[in-house]
Amino acid sequence: MGLTNHFPALILAILLSISFLSPILYRWARKLSAPALIFSLFLALVMAVYLMVQVYQVGEFTYYMGGWPPPWGIELKINLLRVYMLLVVLAISLWIMVYALKDLEHELKTEVMGWYYTLYALVVASMAGMTLTNDLFNLFVLMEICAISACAIISIKEDRACLEASFKYLILSAMGTGCFLLGVAMLYMVTGHMNYDLVNEYLPAAIEQYPNNMFAAAALFIVAFGTKAALFPLHVWLPDAHASAPSPSSAMLSGLVIKIYAFALFLMFYQIFPRSLLESIPLNEIVLWLASMGIMFGSVFAMVQVDLKKMLAYSSIGQIGYVFLGIGLDDTIAMTGGFYHLLVHAIMKSLLFMCAGVIIYSTGIRQIKQLGGIGQVLPITMIAFTIGSASMIGIPGTGGLISKWYLALGALEIGRPIFVVIILASSLLNAVYYMPIIVNAFMQQETFDGEVKPVPRQMLIPLLVGTAAIIFFGVFSRPAIALLENAMQLFF
Amino acid sequence: MEMLIKIAHNYYYMVAILLFIIGMHTMLTHSNMIKKVIAMNIMDTSVFLMFVAIGYTYGGQAPIITAPANEVLYVNPLPGSLMLTGIVVAVSITAYALSLVVKIYRYYGTVDYDEICLIRSQE
Repeated sequence: MGLTNHFPALILAILLSISFLSPILYRWARKLSAPALIFSLFLALVMAVYLMVQVYQVGEFTYYMGGWPPPWGIELKINLLRVYMLLVVLAISLWIMVYALKDLEHELKTEVMGWYYTLYALVVASMAGMTLTNDLFNLFVLMEICAISACAIISIKEDRACLEASFKYLILSAMGTGCFLLGVAMLYMVTGHMNYDLVNEYLPAAIEQYPNNMFAAAALFIVAFGTKAALFPLHVWLPDAHASAPSPSSAMLSGLVIKIYAFALFLMFYQIFPRSLLESIPLNEIVLWLASMGIMFGSVFAMVQVDLKKMLAYSSIGQIGYVFLGIGLDDTIAMTGGFYHLLVHAIMKSLLFMCAGVIIYSTGIRQIKQLGGIGQVLPITMIAFTIGSASMIGIPGTGGLISKWYLALGALEIGRPIFVVIILASSLLNAVYYMPIIVNAFMQQETFDGEVKPVPRQMLIPLLVGTAAIIFFGVFSRPAIALLENAMQLFF
Repeated sequence: MEMLIKIAHNYYYMVAILLFIIGMHTMLTHSNMIKKVIAMNIMDTSVFLMFVAIGYTYGGQAPIITAPANEVLYVNPLPGSLMLTGIVVAVSITAYALSLVVKIYRYYGTVDYDEICLIRSQE
């Protein structure tokens, strides 16, 4: 079969071409534009599933863009972990888009909807590219595409808060990509290659000859990906950006965009850098402690917020910390937990932002204080919110427990119980700010007074799907965990 | 001393790093948004300089192969061509950032971030 060989490139090609077709379709055949986007996301998802099957059959394989083998051409690499990330990205972006179709109607002006589809497809395409690419410069280009289009899905709302937030985000992510490119220059200088595997091959010799270069590169990469993924002291852009954006954009940014950079940092650490570098500089320790601080401070900041979406955004800073904790712990079990958390958090944070979107759509309320008794008028939404929060806290039966469980097991296995304490403490902190909302929503004595718009079914069904997914991944965690454990074999 | 000689030999890298630091510092500390955008460009350009410097070899010629290989020294064409892409990316980010500044100016009548914070706090 000729065509199936080209699936890795076709996934990107489909997403990129729909992004350019969307405005045209929106102008000339308005009814077709949304189904076309949904269909192409679905098609890409089907191809990704096919790639997964292929990986199970033949193991790791590579695809040469344009038929040029490395070191000349760009290489895409398909292995279990990358396909897992690709599936997470495509499935969740399809799910968010279904919700977005209705939600965006009231958040955006009608004439920019077509452009929103363009930007959305671009974000998804660049993230899908980042999961597959095996070339540093290609990664840089995809990071920049992702940065611009991620900022643009915030600023497309064009109110003051969005514009300011996206400018701040743009400046800081430009700093991130600048640092990344300088780091790539440092690596290219001493190895002469851009391909991950070739860089990895030539690095051990280069480290002995030019150690300072490598230290600089490692520092630059941590700053670059730390900024992009909102690692603790570099998170300042995140709360404004994620809170002011339209709800589907918030779900996308908090659910997927920050995590893809954590994944890129993982590849830097365990595919590009040789083990000797990780042993000679305490890179893991830096990531670990920054992640721990992020977990604690993110929760503490979230507690004092009065705006619902801002609280969810601060909670993201804490939750991305778990993923970094998995990367930093340098242990198969902990990393499995970290990557499982990546999936679960993508589902639950998107779900919570969607719930917030439904609340804003239906009642116009953003303040946490005013949410008392809202469970009586928006029962389905608040049940979804409850399940999402339960998963954030890590209550048994939800996906959040499984990932924290594996992270804690990993921390114990390498003999660092302090991180178990941090995980437990942050679960309690999560409970402190999620529980009052749920309790107020359902237990309030007085009934909710205020205007309530009926919620369309198209917005409620994605919420139910998300709720079901959280419970599914909490109860039947074995397949995904087994997949991740297999995937980790490649890196250790 | 040895370190200093090495640095003197590779002064162009030092210039690139210096520009990078100037750009990054201005971008993060100045409150004027236009200056931030300019600083972003300085930062990006410094990295381009770095890459082009990596590709240069002393006495190298333009990499158009006419004579049989190995007889003439060529500069490495790859960093230069990669930086063309880098320049395109930097231009598009600049365009987008400037359009955001224009929109923000329409709301507040200023491009200074501190003044905007002041206006917002008074509301």
